[in-house]
Amino acid sequence: MEQKVATPIEKKTLIGSRVKKPDAADKATGKTRYINDMVLPQMLIGKVLFAGRPHAKIVSIDVSAAERLPGVHAVLTGKDAAGLKFGFVRDNVPLKEKVLCEHDEIAAVAADTEEIALKALELIKVEYEDLPAVFSPEAGREASAPQLRENFPDNKSLRFEFKHGDLATAEAASDFIADNIFRPHHVTHCCMGTSCAIADFDNNGKLTIWTQTQYPYNYKMDLAPALGIAPGDIRVIQPPVGGAFGSKLDVYPYEPIAALLARKTGRPVKVIYSREEEFKASPTRQAAIIHMRTGCTRDGTLTFRSADVLLDNGAYTSWGPTIPVIMMRTTSGHYRVPVVDFQAQAIYTNNPYAGSFRGYGNVQTTFATAQQMDILADQVDIDPLAFHLKNAQKSGEVTPQKSFLRECVLAECLETAARASDYSRKRAAYAAERGKPGRYKKGIGLASSIHNAGGAKIHKSDGIGTILKVDDYARVTVITGASEIGQGIDAVINLIVAEELGVPLEHITIINNDSDIAPWDVGVHASRTTFIAGNGTRRAARKAKAQILKAAEKMLGEPAAALELRGGSVVRDQCGTPLIKLDRLLRQMHFQAEPELVMVTDYYEPNSQPEGADHVSDHSAAYSHAVHIAEITVDTLTGEIKVDKITSAQDVGRVINRMGLEAQTEGGIAIGLGYALSENMQLEGGMLKNPCFRDYKLITAPEMPELEMHFIESHCAEGPYGAKGVSELPTIVIAPAIANALFNATGVRIFNPPLSPEKVARAIHETRQGGN
Amino acid sequence: MSLATEIKFTLNGRPVAVRVPVTMKTLTMLRDLLGLTGTKYACGEGECGACTVKVDGKTLNSCLMHAVDCDGREVVTIEGLKTPEGMNPMQRAFVDHGAVQCGFCMPGMIMQADYLVGENPNLTREDAQRGLEGNLCRCTGYTKVLDAVGSVVEQKCCGRC
Amino acid sequence: MQDIKTYLSPRGIDEAVRAMAAGDVTVFCGGTDLSPQVESGARQYTATLMNIRRVEGMSGIAEAGNLVRIGALTTVTEIRRDPLVARVASILAEAAEHFASDQIRNAASLGGNICNASPAGDMINPLLVLDAEVELARWQDGAVATRRVAMADFFLAPRQTAKRDGELLTAVFFARPATNFVACFRKSGPRPALEISTVSVGIGGRLDNGVFRDVRVAMGSVAPTPLRARHVEAALEGKRLDADGILAAVAAAKTDAKPIDDVRASAWYREHLVQVFTEEVLNHVLGN
Repeated sequence: MEQKVATPIEKKTLIGSRVKKPDAADKATGKTRYINDMVLPQMLIGKVLFAGRPHAKIVSIDVSAAERLPGVHAVLTGKDAAGLKFGFVRDNVPLKEKVLCEHDEIAAVAADTEEIALKALELIKVEYEDLPAVFSPEAGREASAPQLRENFPDNKSLRFEFKHGDLATAEAASDFIADNIFRPHHVTHCCMGTSCAIADFDNNGKLTIWTQTQYPYNYKMDLAPALGIAPGDIRVIQPPVGGAFGSKLDVYPYEPIAALLARKTGRPVKVIYSREEEFKASPTRQAAIIHMRTGCTRDGTLTFRSADVLLDNGAYTSWGPTIPVIMMRTTSGHYRVPVVDFQAQAIYTNNPYAGSFRGYGNVQTTFATAQQMDILADQVDIDPLAFHLKNAQKSGEVTPQKSFLRECVLAECLETAARASDYSRKRAAYAAERGKPGRYKKGIGLASSIHNAGGAKIHKSDGIGTILKVDDYARVTVITGASEIGQGIDAVINLIVAEELGVPLEHITIINNDSDIAPWDVGVHASRTTFIAGNGTRRAARKAKAQILKAAEKMLGEPAAALELRGGSVVRDQCGTPLIKLDRLLRQMHFQAEPELVMVTDYYEPNSQPEGADHVSDHSAAYSHAVHIAEITVDTLTGEIKVDKITSAQDVGRVINRMGLEAQTEGGIAIGLGYALSENMQLEGGMLKNPCFRDYKLITAPEMPELEMHFIESHCAEGPYGAKGVSELPTIVIAPAIANALFNATGVRIFNPPLSPEKVARAIHETRQGGN
Repeated sequence: MSLATEIKFTLNGRPVAVRVPVTMKTLTMLRDLLGLTGTKYACGEGECGACTVKVDGKTLNSCLMHAVDCDGREVVTIEGLKTPEGMNPMQRAFVDHGAVQCGFCMPGMIMQADYLVGENPNLTREDAQRGLEGNLCRCTGYTKVLDAVGSVVEQKCCGRC
Repeated sequence: MQDIKTYLSPRGIDEAVRAMAAGDVTVFCGGTDLSPQVESGARQYTATLMNIRRVEGMSGIAEAGNLVRIGALTTVTEIRRDPLVARVASILAEAAEHFASDQIRNAASLGGNICNASPAGDMINPLLVLDAEVELARWQDGAVATRRVAMADFFLAPRQTAKRDGELLTAVFFARPATNFVACFRKSGPRPALEISTVSVGIGGRLDNGVFRDVRVAMGSVAPTPLRARHVEAALEGKRLDADGILAAVAAAKTDAKPIDDVRASAWYREHLVQVFTEEVLNHVLGN
């Protein structure tokens, strides 16, 4: 073989660098075709008739006029979906024969245009008989409450319990006990792209559904009973979506409705929500009433934590009422808590129902635990930082539920954030200013939390399949179960492949949106994708690399162990001298006497244990902590809170894609800020009063505070390159940090978010009246 | 069904003639009649900015504007920002700064950001925050968006000095 | 919804009001209020749809003698950036600054904001403080006839104004304020602008050696219509603007405001804010 003197290729790592999302350019130029933009030949538009009342019997329904309208191809009602039960406890059907909440789907129409479909809905005559309804879990528990569901006496839905140690003894040993009732509220995801599904059946009865789901494989299993078909007869295609944030982790009625209409008409049917429908018919974050008690001794050592939780199940059971699985992990694992007593009961109501939402259960729980840490520190009369540090776990500790905190840098997170923000000094200074005159008050608040950072084994498996091929031109295709919903796993996969195979980022293609092609994955949830898919990608890439280097060894006569892939070439690892271009080697492999292609498969299953009925298991392959310190200015007259700065310190294990990590953190903080300050589904008698952005207030650009982010690297042994999952913690910690800052500024504590101007103004006003 | 009328206007630099129902909004015309799906529907009430387009040099919400009102005017959509050389500087900056996640709000966000910098070459970060208050984003927390806008302002400044 | 029979895009006021005299006309320009109202079913299109954007003589800001005239089609952005407005009626620019979002400001016309007659209409408040009048044109006896109505008398009930069927609001006039005229505006909401105001307060008057004269106070979102706060005005008129004066005005604000509970705020909070803002705005006036 000819030998040229070639310049050595230096060893450079991409880990920790800034890698662009491969889809960003198409998105920035309007070229990306989202599901909302898709039009198929012969496609019909489906629209849904919602009940618009919380609880009623349907006395009669007459669709004849709608059916006669020219351009209408199908009208379906509850009768057409009878028995098609789906959902977590099979308590939902695509179209209802009885009304249990405002957005119950009563009928659906497929027509040539949206205009005709809407007109057809107007022509459907429904006679209702309104029934007494239940609008809060407390009311639902009352003996006098109407029973909403046949098989659920006392309106009781799911129940969870975890107990560890003797509560009475721990209480007796406590010098101080914080005892409060927290009422986290209803908020919703507000994906900018409204919910949309397109369904089409072929003549063999196989369904193709284009949808926004973030869990394509179990989705098939969940959708099948809503249609009475086999999961295997469903092909899920995931076009680009306008956000998900947990809202697409279950099947919601519009999806089977699209499919039922498609089956009836024999044509593709697209159902897409207006913003108002999106507000009314989307899942919410789970609302709850949390009675939490935390005790400690005089020296500031935590003695116990108990939580008695009542969940507003809403009319149907999606992921919302399952949040206790995470709530109890925080109750038992947020700081070293020797004795734990947790119970949660979900109660059916006629309110909208909750799904999963970024921070799943932990947003609500940390709002309680992190405020009680602040309350107790004041009772003990020590600086909260010292109090937190005293109770912070160290690497190797195990929580009462057997979460193994293998690499735990909680103390470092606390110290970093506190130092960076000058927390202790400012907190004391602001507290001293609190009682003095002056309209504007400054406050600083610290909160932390713990979250799973290596998946969560709530199914039997938490794994992922990966197929990787390298073609004759050294272009890499990664076929992976990992869904991309905007979070940036595409950039992470590109980075890892480029790191392992030494190919340019632009030479990598990801195929991850077709369930008939890509292998299995649990879905985008539980801050798991970088961890799980990152490991899967890395393992597949390393298998490919081993195959390539073995072939190189044969061809070049140099030991594979001394070779590396760098800059699109096979190089000597030591000196970087390139020996052969990768594409050339691959062609030689292909066209040699014993031809071979580089195509590998991998199935990665993290070493976590399934969540059992007793809730004692190491259910995630890693856990991580984040600390937020919020600095705010409160207008004590208008009650407006201006967040001046957030300092965060988060255990990220290891930075993989710095740009994506920052983006996830910033975005998570923004969702947390909205939860803390302004977002609120105003429900009156089960009806949503503010189904629009005018009155449901997302955080806007001018409200974004200055952010100072510290990423602490704990080097997780199981994570890819040491990384941990990151996405949810930023959303989780922000509200209690602001609540603690509000107390520091004003002496007022609010237990029912959001900390809206009116609520804050009223609380301050009442405190002052009381004080006079 | 609804009364329709023919209008003529300039769309992304080219003349177009199209018959539109008089109650149709510009957003629907762009997406459904003219196939320009870069402009997004996300609220239909002028509250989110995803449908932002430029009309006679000023940005507005195409979901509120009657399509007939485009008659005789100059309309630019996200598709029209691209130059023969590729992305315009604002689009490039959004990509380079990681401002794009799900990206659904980004066509509107970029249209507005591009307009702001065009109106005020010395745009401060605070000006940009104010100027983008009509553009909601659920993914990014706006931070990288503001970084991107800032970088374009900087480039422009440097070009001039 | 009624089917629309006619679409018009007149070039002159005469053409416009002639069409309006003939029948049931839905007038639009920027569409920022009309479009969502039609979408939600709160309003319906009528048989004739009329786009008044191209009507000549209805745009722009100009001085005519002692009067400032703002054409009804002038956008909020144009008002926000206008040098004359900044010089003589900065309260109007201030309200424009805090009006919705950039994209809405670029589309929304002054006339539309006034005719929409929302108690939260942001441009109405400063115009009340400026004691502005609206000009209403109609077709009468084969010609355009106009009349003027004081803004203070214009708003009758929610979404109801003194504008009669067939009348088109063509312009707003106000007297160029005296050189010692000072005015300030405050609206609530944690956001700088994109906010339907929970409460707004605007106060203006001449400061004559510490004495406040020709005082006009406007409040938004505390009653079914935008209102002039006559009790606050009485409390301030001819008085020294000092701590006691401000206290009296704040007390009077409670009498003027008749707020309700709704999805945006409780009556308690609105009443509370009206007092806070009255004090705040007066302190600003004093500071200026």
